[in-house]
Amino acid sequence: MLKLIFTSDFFFSILRITAPILFATLGAVVGEKAGVSNIGLEGTMMISALFGSLTAYWSGSWSVGVLVAVVIGILVALLMGFFAFNLKTDIILTGIAVNMVGSGGTLFLVKVITQMTEGKAMASTTSLITKNLQVPSWDIPILKNIPILGDVLSGHCILTYLAFLLVFLTWVLLYKTPLGLNIRSVGENPNAASSVGVSVIRIKYIAIGFSGAMAGFGGAFMSMYYAMGWSQDMVSGRGFIALAAQAMGAGEPLGAMLSALVFGFAQALGIKISSTGTDSNLVSPIPYLVTILGLVVFALVARWKVKRQHSAAALKEAAK
Amino acid sequence: MSKKRSLIFSIVRGLAAIFIALAVATLLIFICSEGATLGEKVSQTLSALRQLLIGPAFKNKGGISTKNLCDVLAAMIPIIFTGLATCVMFSANQFNLGAEGGIMLGAFITALMAIYAPLPAGVLPVAAVLVGAAAVGVMMLIPALLKVKLGVSEMVCSLMLNYVVMYLVKYLLNSHLADKSKGQIMTHDFQSQSAIPQLIQNGSKLSWGFIVALIFVVIIALFMYRTRWGYAIRMIGINQDFAMYSGMKVGAVIVLSQVLGGLLAGMGGGIEMLGRYTNYSWTALPGYGWTGITVAILAGNNPIFVPFAAFFIAYLNKGCSLMSTYCNVPSQLIDIIQAVIFLFFAAEQFLSRYRQKLVVKSTQEELKLKTSREAEPEGSVK
Repeated sequence: MLKLIFTSDFFFSILRITAPILFATLGAVVGEKAGVSNIGLEGTMMISALFGSLTAYWSGSWSVGVLVAVVIGILVALLMGFFAFNLKTDIILTGIAVNMVGSGGTLFLVKVITQMTEGKAMASTTSLITKNLQVPSWDIPILKNIPILGDVLSGHCILTYLAFLLVFLTWVLLYKTPLGLNIRSVGENPNAASSVGVSVIRIKYIAIGFSGAMAGFGGAFMSMYYAMGWSQDMVSGRGFIALAAQAMGAGEPLGAMLSALVFGFAQALGIKISSTGTDSNLVSPIPYLVTILGLVVFALVARWKVKRQHSAAALKEAAK
Repeated sequence: MSKKRSLIFSIVRGLAAIFIALAVATLLIFICSEGATLGEKVSQTLSALRQLLIGPAFKNKGGISTKNLCDVLAAMIPIIFTGLATCVMFSANQFNLGAEGGIMLGAFITALMAIYAPLPAGVLPVAAVLVGAAAVGVMMLIPALLKVKLGVSEMVCSLMLNYVVMYLVKYLLNSHLADKSKGQIMTHDFQSQSAIPQLIQNGSKLSWGFIVALIFVVIIALFMYRTRWGYAIRMIGINQDFAMYSGMKVGAVIVLSQVLGGLLAGMGGGIEMLGRYTNYSWTALPGYGWTGITVAILAGNNPIFVPFAAFFIAYLNKGCSLMSTYCNVPSQLIDIIQAVIFLFFAAEQFLSRYRQKLVVKSTQEELKLKTSREAEPEGSVK
């Protein structure tokens, strides 16, 4: 049984499944660093996925599709920013509104744009994305010839590589650039940041725009690689899982990546188990349950760490 | 600012939000209308708007349409419950978004009771709904306790629970409970004594559940504004630190608010099931939880306004479905309209300049009044 599950194919699928969650997670990480809880990632991904797949079909080029998906993601995020920062709508409620548009509004748009009527039970763009419109895969030159490792790491969609590369880039952005410093200072203490001349609202716009761009990549990955086209509720909670991954990774890019991988693993395992004949509805909740468990474990560990720190400090005091 | 002025301001603000939403809707309808010339498109848009705004209340040939209005009232039942649930949870500043999964679980458990529990008429519907509600209350203990004990975000936790509930219900339905003799995936029929009786027999499914929903509006309003616990819930929402330092059991109240929200959502699911259907067939989240959030926001988290907000949303919803039947505009337009209204309603700074003007005006008037009062007695002495 174990041998059947843990094949190189299985590990390959973990990376593939993790990629869209990872994009959204990085968006959540940067947003949260600036004190912006973007819970609209889910809806943004849906909207980006739709427009990405449509423009890919119209232009006949996957790259245009990805580009448009990212631009749409940024636009949606900036609109959220306008409501949240300028009109002072609660950021959580703003996110909920975007998710509403993402689940029902996208179906409206796809029906209107593609002229598919109510007669078809499920409108989708599945028929529009063909093999040559898919985001292409890439074999890493030398690595692909190494057995097992090559099978797992090589041959992925270029967006998958981008997702993991972005983990590093996000870390650089946050910790090695002036902008990153500003983002972190705005998140930690907006008053202090503004007192030294940082425009808090501008930084917040940049942070939410970044998270929108990430959701755009995630959406493009969903509709132009993971599935062949857009269908209703296709993101199915990945944007929400990303929020959990952000929390579990203590808000750091690397930690969040590891948590995203845990969810990727859980989901890949579920798919593998269901392929052995178990009802897929029984294994589908696994990633969501793992998320809740993960949050609990994370909270327990964090609490234990604080306790240990306190007792260490107390011991030091006593030694004096 | 005087009470009257702030009332005027909130009315103007609400109307402006609705107006903007309808303008967006009109634009979208215009884009998806068919027609060669501009004139044709405009006339199509107008007829679609007519269906949206007037359709739910009046017949096409004129005269009030009782059937459509009953449909609207019937559609209010589940969203009143999820709206109340959201009100209670949001009042305590608990962003628990689990009403969506809650209403599905409540409906499912109630349906199971209605199929299998050997209880007499009269007892069965009440028992089934209560058991369904209790199940959701227990479900909400998970995010509530995790929040209180470990500081886990109740929002993420409840969102995840929604999916868990959906898949487990689907699994049980597909693998164990489906009636194999039927073409579609659905359970066996409910026992006949489980049905909640209808108020009006015109096929609109307006059941006694509507009355129950209104009763619960009153109960929850009294609870929130006339009891110690309701006060504690609201106070924690306004200022948790203050509540804690003044000796309130913050943890217990947070748990209470979420469990109460769960009970209400579950009850809504159960009543909807027994009042409208004869077997269980939901295989996806029904969306009432999200609509409930819109309702709560429109009602300003005040239970008393929930039925009005629910009526408004149900009315627009009916309008959208009429529009899709007669005018080829997809009914999901409602989601976009809802999102726009929602955004502007929740926007604190929306029309803030207008409010500023009103505040300035009131203050000036008050000052004038004060100076004239101070001047008068002096004058009379002399």
